[in-house]
Amino acid sequence: MYVMSSTLYILTCSLYYFPREGEMSLMRLGKHIDNAMKDVKTAVDETGSAVEETRRVYGLKLLRAGLLWGSTYMLSRGLLELPNLAVTVRVLIALVPVPVFIWFLWTWMKGLSEMDELQRRIELEALAFAFPIAVILLMTLGLMELAIPLNPDDWSYRHVWALMPALYFAGLWRAKRRYE
Amino acid sequence: MKNRLKVLRAERDWSQEDLAKQLSVSRQTINAIETEKYDPSLPLALKMGRLFGQCVEKIFTLEEAGGRRAN
Repeated sequence: MYVMSSTLYILTCSLYYFPREGEMSLMRLGKHIDNAMKDVKTAVDETGSAVEETRRVYGLKLLRAGLLWGSTYMLSRGLLELPNLAVTVRVLIALVPVPVFIWFLWTWMKGLSEMDELQRRIELEALAFAFPIAVILLMTLGLMELAIPLNPDDWSYRHVWALMPALYFAGLWRAKRRYE
Repeated sequence: MKNRLKVLRAERDWSQEDLAKQLSVSRQTINAIETEKYDPSLPLALKMGRLFGQCVEKIFTLEEAGGRRAN
């Protein structure tokens, strides 16, 4: 595209440099083509930068939402360790991270709709890797709970859920590597 | 599926980035298609055909079992 544009530009310039009779229409035509090529180049550049901008903004938004959710979760966990809190207050504190997490998920899903088809496939493969393993882990934990007494300080849902995003990131790494 | 994307791109002296911009996809997508790790969707294949001025069958060929190409 750039080579074609440059060639046309040189041809157009040469026509301007050696104006002869009957070539005025060619000069005008060359100028029109040159302008059209510049417009195409600008449009292509704008599309490309729009794609990059979307990825950059999406990444920052997701990071911001993720940090806020992580902070809210840690704050909630910290407050729930405090003794002498009323049950209603404890329940309210436990539910505080939920809307923040929903906002995080909404940001993520909005970002998915702006991704190109390979990126969406990578996300899908990451989830397809993480989900069945998470199911296996939860099923095993449930059965082990029935089989032997497990220490809830080591083996409870608040410990196990963190494995799910870890599995998703492992799946993401695996899928990205496949298409590199 | 085999494809001639790399050849067509080289003929026009475009980088992967240039082609990616024109198709509104990421450079990684172009790279994955060229290295035949990823088969594009039909809309993307049609966009490529339109961009290179060729029908999709001229760019992508289905490789049958046993390594024989089918058009």
